[in-house]
Amino acid sequence: MFRFTVAVFGRGVAKRFCSSFPAEGALPPNLHLPANLVDPSRLRRPPPLADCSLPLLRRCDAAVPAHLSPMQTWVESLLTEDGEPLGLAQLHPDVFGVNPRMDILHDVEKWQRNYKRVSHAHTKVRSEVRGGGKKPWRQKGSGKARHGSIRSPIWRGGGVSHGPRGPTSYYYMLPMKVRVQGLKVALSAKMAQDYLHVVDSLNVPTPDSQYLQDLIRHRQWGESVLIVDVAEEFPENLLRATADLKKVNLIPAIGLNVHSMLKHEAVVLTLETIKFLEDKLLWHDQRYSPLYPFRLPYRDLP
Amino acid sequence: MSALGGLLRAGASLCQSAGTLLHTARTISTGTYCQIRMHAIPQPKQVDRWNEKRSMYGVYDNIGILGDFKAHPKDLIIAPCWLKGFKGNELQRLIRKKKMVGDRMMTLERHNLEKRIRFLYRRFNRTGKHR
Repeated sequence: MFRFTVAVFGRGVAKRFCSSFPAEGALPPNLHLPANLVDPSRLRRPPPLADCSLPLLRRCDAAVPAHLSPMQTWVESLLTEDGEPLGLAQLHPDVFGVNPRMDILHDVEKWQRNYKRVSHAHTKVRSEVRGGGKKPWRQKGSGKARHGSIRSPIWRGGGVSHGPRGPTSYYYMLPMKVRVQGLKVALSAKMAQDYLHVVDSLNVPTPDSQYLQDLIRHRQWGESVLIVDVAEEFPENLLRATADLKKVNLIPAIGLNVHSMLKHEAVVLTLETIKFLEDKLLWHDQRYSPLYPFRLPYRDLP
Repeated sequence: MSALGGLLRAGASLCQSAGTLLHTARTISTGTYCQIRMHAIPQPKQVDRWNEKRSMYGVYDNIGILGDFKAHPKDLIIAPCWLKGFKGNELQRLIRKKKMVGDRMMTLERHNLEKRIRFLYRRFNRTGKHR
């Protein structure tokens, strides 16, 4: 009631006030911007031109379709804090340049959240609640409502008629090609938005986490960084540097997934990781459909 | 709260019209008090979005595709053994539980399981439109 009266009286006052404000370009004072809005003037390094003097460190191994051309990116190094790029690398357009299918990303993200989900919510039914086998009072003559058991769902302390039952699983699998396409779309989205960085190797000069943070802040990679490498063992300096940092995470290439790529702002890949990913993801474009599961041996599969 | 509303309504009516309505202010009471009593508005709970579990969520979900099909994502699920990589309605889950774990169960639990399976079988297959 109070708010209504204030609004009714205040509306006329506000209208008279607004007209005295300056101008078109100035932001209104009550504008509420979200806290995680990305600054559009973030350093966008221009993509490498064709006549660049830096060497081409990696060409595409797989055959690129004739109507597409490989994409070029800078290859950087983690050894110096404000290093210049070391060279160029070519990326396969069918992995890093696919169309941004948001519906596939949504499906894969939903799958990742739900296929592991097991809900342990459980309620007892009237037959499982302790007691309640005897009829509480006789059917007729006592003046009370007729009941057959003290644990029926109407009673306080009785069983639940349609409650959650036992551990329930929400497991399902998306088709393999949809999951593969989800990975490709996520990588292409990171590439297109300038959040994908290629590094020649993960050698860091010091095991100092402050050095990594300064490097990330200087190169404006973003708040959170996901570092992916193929090797089973990571350099010790990098392991110690990332151990304390929450927002900089290190995963092997086998662990790459859409949820992690969407959660972290920047993704850093090494040249071997790119080769591994292109190898694994492009195979699905031209494979035969399996007659028996792929985990059983095939003659021509490695 | 409702008494305050009544007073303000009375105040508004007083402002709008002249002295003729001075004696018509009524207080309204609903007869109950607020059951939830707090000293202050509770603090919003602080959720750490970057703890170990949340930052590493979903890693190895593509272990089949990227890892030569030696493992399947359903091997990663943490669940009772009769639910790993299986989805079904209640009857199907209970039957699977009885098959896989039935001889290890306690007597009362097993008895309740059998009762429930019998009830659900009869309910699904003998009543209703879909049988």
